[in-house]
Amino acid sequence: MTAVVLDGIVLGLQFGLLGVGLTLVYGLGGVLNLAHGQLAVLGAIAVWLAIGTGLPVLPAVVVGLAAIGLLGFLLDTTLMRPVYARRGDERVLLGLLLTLGVAFIIDGLLNWRYPIASLNISIGGDPISILGVRMRTGSLLASTIAIAAAGLLLLFFRGTTLGRGVRSVIQDEEGARLVGINPASVRNLIFALSAVLAGLVAVTRSMTSPVSASAGIDFTILALIVAVVGGLGSILGAFVAGILLGIVNTVSSFYIGQYITTIVLLAAAALTILLRPSGLLGRRK
Amino acid sequence: MLEVEELSVGYLGDDVVHGVTLTVAPGEAVAVIGSNGAGKTTLFRGICGLLTASHGRVTFDGEDVSGQPAHKISRRGLAFVPAERHLFPGMTVKENLALGAYPGRPDPATMDFVLSLFPQLADRLSQHAGTMSGGEQQMVAVGRALVSRPRLLLLDEPTTGLAPKLAKAAYEALATLRSEGLTLLLAEQQVPLALDLTDRGYVLENGRVQLESSSEELRRNPEVRRAYLGIT
Ligand SMILES: Nc1ncnc2c1ncn2[C@@H]1O[C@H](COP(=O)(O)OP(=O)(O)OP(=O)(O)O)[C@@H](O)[C@H]1O
Ligand SMILES: [Mg+2]
Repeated sequence: MTAVVLDGIVLGLQFGLLGVGLTLVYGLGGVLNLAHGQLAVLGAIAVWLAIGTGLPVLPAVVVGLAAIGLLGFLLDTTLMRPVYARRGDERVLLGLLLTLGVAFIIDGLLNWRYPIASLNISIGGDPISILGVRMRTGSLLASTIAIAAAGLLLLFFRGTTLGRGVRSVIQDEEGARLVGINPASVRNLIFALSAVLAGLVAVTRSMTSPVSASAGIDFTILALIVAVVGGLGSILGAFVAGILLGIVNTVSSFYIGQYITTIVLLAAAALTILLRPSGLLGRRK
Repeated sequence: MLEVEELSVGYLGDDVVHGVTLTVAPGEAVAVIGSNGAGKTTLFRGICGLLTASHGRVTFDGEDVSGQPAHKISRRGLAFVPAERHLFPGMTVKENLALGAYPGRPDPATMDFVLSLFPQLADRLSQHAGTMSGGEQQMVAVGRALVSRPRLLLLDEPTTGLAPKLAKAAYEALATLRSEGLTLLLAEQQVPLALDLTDRGYVLENGRVQLESSSEELRRNPEVRRAYLGIT
């Protein structure tokens, strides 16, 4: 049981990183990015391509994540502009439609060019014992990276002026403008960051199991569930929800079966919406 | 310091404020009074860049700022305190105040000054702004604006939702700011308080300036007395 829970936490930290980008983009501009998982996979495939050119793994990861971050930035400055120019329902709907389009395009491109590509970063070394459980070095490294990334993010959002500026736009965009913050450039930055984080999660996942070119939709659904359970717009909520759902995920796939797990996660999300419509840590408006 | 020339501004292509001309000299305190719906808020939002004007010009410190977005105008030293305050509810009082200095760090002397102006805030620096009372939130809003070290402070109904005693206290704080040499432009429905504080005033009705005069004369003006001071 300890092993299953530990595995769940390892997975959950990565869920949190996946969900936090989605939640931030939504909090800042009301766009629920349905291409989030496709960006994650595109990042993984970019890393795979970079490795294919003969680059060692670490530089290949840096190159791949930089590329996906740049793509995120470009999407936000071009395609998302008409979305942010609208208000209310119109903005939400246009955002859903456009990002769904992006998801289809990325899926189509990957399926056409790299149908059998999959990123599988194998980390050598003997298993290490933690709390009496033997953990593979791949999942330990993945967790270390996820913990470090989560720590850096929390430090950024709580401890730096720019990070507080980002939170201020989520909490009151007009107030943010009045203190001299440009919401549009904050959104650019965070869309790019969210794509990098998504790509990073695909990379850490690939350290324990292969990430295939067709996995985008799974990542998107997962990110949506995590963000909804954590409370859309809540950074800490995404991590809390990620860890909880990671544990739910491994426990249910261990005792019930892998195929039912997505349904269990969706049920957890539905239950959260029923009990706490604004999510675990979301603020009621 | 501020010259507003023939400014027309409104919502979705419909002007609500029509050709308003108004000036504020350095060190001056100026009031804009008018009944509900006269266009005071719309005028202020047009000045500070939250709304884009359809006509006219706004010059701040000798520079044409018409059409510039709010965050740029704010960084030039024109701070606007909206009636709804627009604080960051999930952040502490301290974080709210500090963000006034964005992208820099708050100047300690300015921070001290704000806390001496509003001593109640000093004990509540780690309280979330969203959990404060209306009067305290107003202090945070004014404090946040002051932390940006503005050269002109625009206040929209600083007494909104305040009990008479608190409204008076708010005006005492504004009087202190005046005596420190800060230039003020404020919109107010509590006309006696506003006219006591300011040097000059504008009466706005239906989006147009009806009357413009020294605050003292406005206090004596029979029409103003009847319409806004409740004296027949
Ligand atoms: N967001 C908006 N969209 C459309 N019309 C608006 C909007 N806000 C205000 N108005 C209209 O603009 C006119 C002027 O409103 P404004 O808020 O500027 O008046 P005000 O003088 O500030 O009034 P009050 O003293 O009640 O605050 C009103 O007729 C109002 O209905
Ligand atoms: Mg108003």
